[in-house]
Amino acid sequence: MGLVEDLAADLGPARVRPGGPDDAIGGRVPAAVAEPLSPEAVAAVLARAGRDGLAVRVRGGGTKQSWSAPPERLDVVLSTRALHRLIDHAPGDMTCVAEAGMPLAALQAAIADVTTHRQRLMLDPPGGAEATLGGVLATAAAGPRRVRYGTPRDLVIGARYVTGDGLAAKTGGRVVKNVAGYDVAKLLIGSHGSLAVITEVALKLHPLPDAARTVVLRDPDPDRAAAFCDAVRGAPITPALVEAAWPEGLVLVRVESTEEGAAAQVERLRGLGPVEELDEVAADALTADLAARAWAGTGPVLAVGVVPDRLADLLRAARDAGATLVARAPVCAGELALPDDDPDRAARLIDAVRALGGSVQLRRGGEDLRALVRTAPEPAVLRLEAALKDRLDPHGVLAGAAR
Amino acid sequence: MAATQTTDRLGTLAERARAIVGPVWVLSDPAQLSTYECDGLTNQRERPGLVVLPASTDEVAAVVRACHELGIPFVARGAGSGLSGGAMPRAEGVVIGLARMREILAVDLPNRRVTVQPGVTNLAITEAVAPHGFYYAPDPSSQQVCTIGGNLAENAGGAHCLKYGFTVNHALSAVVVLADGAVVRLGADAPDAPGLDLLGVLIGSEGTCGIVTEAVVGILPKPQHVETLVAFFDTVEEGGETVSAIISAGIVPAAVEMMDRLAIEAARAVTKMDWDAESALIVELDGPESEVRSQFEAVTRICAAHHAREVRVAASPAERAAIWTARKSAFAAAGRLAPAYRVQDGVIPRTRLPEVLRGIAALSERYGLRVANVFHAGDGNLHPLVLYDSAVPEQVEQSEELAMAIVALCVEFGGSITGEHGVGTEKACSMPKMFDGDDLTAFDRVRGAFDPDGLCNPDKLLPTPRLCGEVPGFHRVHPVERAGLGDRL
Ligand SMILES: Cc1cc2nc3c(=O)[nH]c(=O)nc-3n(C[C@H](O)[C@H](O)[C@H](O)COP(=O)(O)OP(=O)(O)OC[C@H]3O[C@@H](n4cnc5c(N)ncnc54)[C@H](O)[C@@H]3O)c2cc1C
Repeated sequence: MGLVEDLAADLGPARVRPGGPDDAIGGRVPAAVAEPLSPEAVAAVLARAGRDGLAVRVRGGGTKQSWSAPPERLDVVLSTRALHRLIDHAPGDMTCVAEAGMPLAALQAAIADVTTHRQRLMLDPPGGAEATLGGVLATAAAGPRRVRYGTPRDLVIGARYVTGDGLAAKTGGRVVKNVAGYDVAKLLIGSHGSLAVITEVALKLHPLPDAARTVVLRDPDPDRAAAFCDAVRGAPITPALVEAAWPEGLVLVRVESTEEGAAAQVERLRGLGPVEELDEVAADALTADLAARAWAGTGPVLAVGVVPDRLADLLRAARDAGATLVARAPVCAGELALPDDDPDRAARLIDAVRALGGSVQLRRGGEDLRALVRTAPEPAVLRLEAALKDRLDPHGVLAGAAR
Repeated sequence: MAATQTTDRLGTLAERARAIVGPVWVLSDPAQLSTYECDGLTNQRERPGLVVLPASTDEVAAVVRACHELGIPFVARGAGSGLSGGAMPRAEGVVIGLARMREILAVDLPNRRVTVQPGVTNLAITEAVAPHGFYYAPDPSSQQVCTIGGNLAENAGGAHCLKYGFTVNHALSAVVVLADGAVVRLGADAPDAPGLDLLGVLIGSEGTCGIVTEAVVGILPKPQHVETLVAFFDTVEEGGETVSAIISAGIVPAAVEMMDRLAIEAARAVTKMDWDAESALIVELDGPESEVRSQFEAVTRICAAHHAREVRVAASPAERAAIWTARKSAFAAAGRLAPAYRVQDGVIPRTRLPEVLRGIAALSERYGLRVANVFHAGDGNLHPLVLYDSAVPEQVEQSEELAMAIVALCVEFGGSITGEHGVGTEKACSMPKMFDGDDLTAFDRVRGAFDPDGLCNPDKLLPTPRLCGEVPGFHRVHPVERAGLGDRL
């Protein structure tokens, strides 16, 4: 019997199909695509993989497969898309629980009943409407709002997962405060599907603000733009976004507060630099444009991070490399898009960011570039990561890579 | 025979430890050792075989390496203020005390971070940066004494973690001595480093993943404006419903704390305040002034709408401090109400407060023991204080049963057995209430990856046969399997 038939015997014929060119990851086409309907079915796929020595790659919306190394072998794509239910939304507790294959956009729509409760999951990662909760967690993807609300590690309060050898387990819970047990969710966030399949997530929600106002500063001088960002960080304001973009030398600040609070904060911002206020339509358009900007071309995209007082240097590095930068200024993390595939240009930029003590990860680009970006961690860290992989995926079936 | 071997090994370790840290920093005199036999959970004690007090990362690493070679279990100890038995040693084991490592190594204001040794107290970080207008956000009530190492180990929270999060949301990196004595830095200076979030899982691991010998933590600018009120209610339910209403209104206060009549009485016995109500609700807002003012008005209206008998607004920093003194004294003051008490730390979804408080009252009546409630209402983290007389043997037993029944109630309502004090030894046997055999097995695998030989603070956090008897369904990896000599399949 072939692999598709074998899996069909485990999951039912409707849940399995042969892989096609569209399912290729890193140029490898899987023999089968399995779409399990339950954690038990996920465990069944992994159990078979363990028995038959198959390589399994987990896929949510398929928007961030390029964020981690391609699989060396690929037999099965395990799609989480059939695990898409909202399991619980407790508006009064500001928490929700959903299956991992639920698209983030679908979750936002399901919980945003504006008439009864104004709340939202404050995650706005790249990847559009297709990105699933599980994929966002597995890649630790975050967007502009991390400035105020943090990244997935700050918003996840619990998870269910299936280890590589089919153990269905949970970590955390459904309450916003909880220290019982190891916080395995922290390990799964950013693990790129290398340790376990996330099947369910419990999340902390936040209230939508009463009022939002947006201003922009345009200053093509990296030092002045960075100084403005620094002043914003030190001022008594509560921005939800502080996006700095190069080449324009543009800084967008969106404050979210009560009506009175937002008005007072805009006044503060006017005192910090020659800002211009945007109306809602213009503000939303520019915010969307900034979110898309780094991904707009077809060239390589890097995720970079430096310590906050190196923002001006980061802007200069982007300028010198002719790259596009969109960064969350207060945390100094963002995306750098290169204009072309020139390896020397990429190498110069990576060196420049590293010289600032910064971090670099590949978001989009060829394997040559991935090799340039890759760093060797300390041996003891490598040992720990290997030990975790060994214990959570003892048969080595999960073909995800955490680095 | 086994006992002699243990003594011999401890003797060898003592010798090596003296060479590493200097003879005066190795304690083996029984009288000195008994200082280290328990943490804040004083009803569980064990005198350690040895106490070593190193002064640097290198010394910690050398001592841990020696323990590893000799197969001697060790436990890190900060201030010993833990409330779940986390720092309790084993009789044949070693306490590695970090009290000598209490230097603030660097203050980096432009990047808003402070580098500290593990024995630095939580409050000392805030004190170091306060002159520059900054503070360290996690504020456990024990902040004057508890150490940053202990805070990382327990993922400590405090009254203000409702808005600002816990230790894990503020720690940036740490130097850690692993169970085999290797030294690593987990986390990084810059955001978004590649690789697994090993720091994230170490925080809250109760000293079982290694010993933190240096930590970098983030600091925040002091809020521009703070408003605090205390509202008094004729019923506990009204207080609880007010909490839900504030959260539902989309307001995220800096803190929402609640005390019931018994807790108020206790606080009154030790402070000068005149509070008198079935429940008192403390609400604090902080942030930009205009935002705080408009939201504070809304909170005041919500309190009135829920029949608050009186709302007192702190008109000065002194009045604010008085409100917080009343809240923070309730704990210690419980000692005035009864000869002994047990603190519980269960969490519930915050909308279930009224029901759960009624449930606790019913349990209290059934067991014939009084329970005072003083807790972090905003995030549903209860601290029921079960009062009893330790001279009456039945009460000792019943108080423990009652405390466990309260924990079970929290889990029944979809909550947790612990919100900030940790599992330790105290609640290890309660873990199966929340987690099934597979959950526990997965936890054990994580632990095993950090500590394959089971020497780094054993018998904490997870149920062990030694503590709890056999745990159904929980498959611990047997050393034989670990060594690859056998398999269960
Ligand atoms: C009156 C009172 C009020 C309290 N209020 C709060 C509160 O509001 N919020 C809260 O969260 N807690 C509270 N606690 C509990 C306690 O203070 C915290 O758990 C604190 O984090 C413990 O710090 P410590 O230095 O005393 O650690 P210890 O008690 O010495 O140790 C606690 C655990 O941490 C481990 N550990 C210690 N140092 C290190 C290190 N360097 N590396 C690795 N592991 C280490 C120990 O092995 C042990 O498992 C309170 C305690 C008391 C007595």
